[in-house]
Amino acid sequence: MKAMKKVLVLLLVAAMVFGTMACGKDTKEPDGDTKKTQDTDSGKKDQEDSKPGEKIKLTFSIWGGQDEQANTQETVDKFNASQDRIEVEVLAIPWENYLTKLNSMATANELPDTGMMMETAVIPYAKEGMFADVSDMFAGQKVLDCLAFTYEGEVMAYSSANEILMLFYNRDLFDAANIPYPPADAANAWTWDEFVHTAKLLTLDANGKNATEAGFDPDNIVQYGCSVENLTWQLEVWALSNGGGYFSEDGKELIIDDPATIEALQKVADLYLVDKVAPLSTGTTDDGIPRTLITGKVAMATNGQWNIGTCLKTARDEGLNYGVGVLPYMKEKVTICTGGPTVVFSQTKHPEEAKEFLRWYNSIENSWALIETGTWMPIFEEYYTNEELTRKWVENEAFPPYEEYKTAVVDYAVDYTKQAAWYYTDNIDNFYAVLGSVLGEVWTGGTTVEDAITSNISVLRDAFEGK
Amino acid sequence: MSILFKKSKRRRSRMSIKEERTAYLYLIPAFMGLTFITYLPLLGVFGISFFEWKGISAPRFNGLDNYIKLFTRDHFFIDSIKVTVYFSLIAVLGSMIYSLFIAMLLNRKIPARGFFRAIFYVPYVLPATAVYIGWSWLYETNFGLFNYLLTKIGLNRVQFLASSKLVVPSLAVISVWLSGNLIVIFLAGLQNVPRIYHEAAEIDGANSWQRFRHITIPCMTPIIFYNLLMSLVTNMQIVVPALSITNGGPGNASMFMTYLMYRYAFLSNQIGYACAISFIFFLIIAIFTGILFATSKAWIFYEGGD
Repeated sequence: MKAMKKVLVLLLVAAMVFGTMACGKDTKEPDGDTKKTQDTDSGKKDQEDSKPGEKIKLTFSIWGGQDEQANTQETVDKFNASQDRIEVEVLAIPWENYLTKLNSMATANELPDTGMMMETAVIPYAKEGMFADVSDMFAGQKVLDCLAFTYEGEVMAYSSANEILMLFYNRDLFDAANIPYPPADAANAWTWDEFVHTAKLLTLDANGKNATEAGFDPDNIVQYGCSVENLTWQLEVWALSNGGGYFSEDGKELIIDDPATIEALQKVADLYLVDKVAPLSTGTTDDGIPRTLITGKVAMATNGQWNIGTCLKTARDEGLNYGVGVLPYMKEKVTICTGGPTVVFSQTKHPEEAKEFLRWYNSIENSWALIETGTWMPIFEEYYTNEELTRKWVENEAFPPYEEYKTAVVDYAVDYTKQAAWYYTDNIDNFYAVLGSVLGEVWTGGTTVEDAITSNISVLRDAFEGK
Repeated sequence: MSILFKKSKRRRSRMSIKEERTAYLYLIPAFMGLTFITYLPLLGVFGISFFEWKGISAPRFNGLDNYIKLFTRDHFFIDSIKVTVYFSLIAVLGSMIYSLFIAMLLNRKIPARGFFRAIFYVPYVLPATAVYIGWSWLYETNFGLFNYLLTKIGLNRVQFLASSKLVVPSLAVISVWLSGNLIVIFLAGLQNVPRIYHEAAEIDGANSWQRFRHITIPCMTPIIFYNLLMSLVTNMQIVVPALSITNGGPGNASMFMTYLMYRYAFLSNQIGYACAISFIFFLIIAIFTGILFATSKAWIFYEGGD
């Protein structure tokens, strides 16, 4: 009996010890990843002693949960079935760990062959020489110029989608006030003052008085005229519009203390503080359109094109009658574009095959599911210039009327677009974190843009220079 | 007394060898877990904090530079300490008072007591992100429920989350609302307060406040200490509201230390720098815990003896 007990105790202890060890391993590396990494390793070894006739194995890293992984896997399966030379394997990494994981893989010289990349990480990675040259990836097919990430004059990556900033508005609120809709073409774009004036006509207090009328009660506003998104990266468009900017055109100088930039940002803050036409927003959350236009209490809102697919389609099905227009301008008519890239890592042994896969992966057919729902815009120039292709893209129930979208988005994206700063600037992540914090008190009127920027210019400069 | 003690000691020593061996065997798993998952990583963090390491290129030793930069040039760090301590003070005091109060109500013989006990515990088991996003809509300045009600009764709008002065108290209220686990522990403690003390005091003519002050509170001090400690550590490590609704803003007004650490480590990949923050943060929690332990002797009343 005693011996029996001893054995049992030992077994129990053994079970617990192994249990703990297994737990320890789990916490360090989610089992999926471990498996995948090993697969990658064996894949690499296979490549090294691959004989002619055998398939070349590539890994393609993506972020996202199980759904995205399944979707991407489906696309990749099609690629694998379409030819017999290359076999691509998907390596899914949770978004929060994506860069950390890539970093550790880079250190171990085990980066995937290709992968998605965060916009803000492109230039920092390029600086470390982590990307293969992809400038000829789309040979024969012209990608919009503004979608190339460049470092020291070389193309490091292309965006997999295009997005621009624009104006969305609620037609019903304009109709009720009997005011003409915002212009849908850049030639007739409103000046900032016209925009603010219209917003005043559309801002109503509880007694039905608008912001231009005597006796208007700014403490009891029930409907706001406009909301200009004040996420730091989107604010750059107003700095550019006023003839200023955040950075010099080569991305090497910080010019955020330029009076034109300061004036532009103050004008955005004054929509709430002085003009009383915008709801308060502190620029901390990325839900501008659901928070404004979709509530039905805001007449106009600026934000990115992707909102058509991500939230406005559903909102329209539920009764929101919205339209699209171009941004107002201060001195210069301008919008900015962005879009997450896919890259070929320089550690790959098969850059040509990796590029071939990415060319296929980024083809219009494979992006179509996201394009036709209005979430992505095509990256190829012909979809903007060839009317037949434009119609194929836009004449679709997810979109606003063709005539309106064509001038407000398609033409605007070709003729008036500058790149968001992360296409060419280093340390942008840090810089935006500091800028967001510096401007934090501005939106509630605790300080002015001028004070906030001039008194923190050295901090901003440190962040920009990566110190 | 001393003879008895000696005798028992000798008697025990035979058995004790075996017992000790078993005890140590049982301790091995926990010890290994702590070593590999807690102590070694802690040492690792301390080591890495002396390096400049962006993850992607090789680490470069830079001595105390990370620490010097933290205290001299960092735009967020000092604010983040202030904000975290401020938040913890409000949240800890608030949730202690709130949970003790609710626990005392739930300890009475009220109808549907089980139902109410569940109601107050539910917030604790809800997914934290969902809770914070839900509250952010209640707090919303322009169209949120609270402000709607305030304007209905003729008051001005309050910028709960948008104002740098109010954001921490507003978030602390959510944290207090979430403290269902403290209620449960208090409740268990209250049920252990011996009824005879109350009865004796009642006979001596003590009113309910006197009984609360001189019987309930002293008997509860060990539980209060435990809850205080748990609440302090959890609230110092607060990160979810910053991650899900405020992003540390407005300005640095909700830049909690854990969130700042997360931003440096995982968004801008300054691993060495983030490790330095973690280490300082560890020290700060240790200091507060130390203070709590040091003062505990003076106010904890153990029924069983010393």
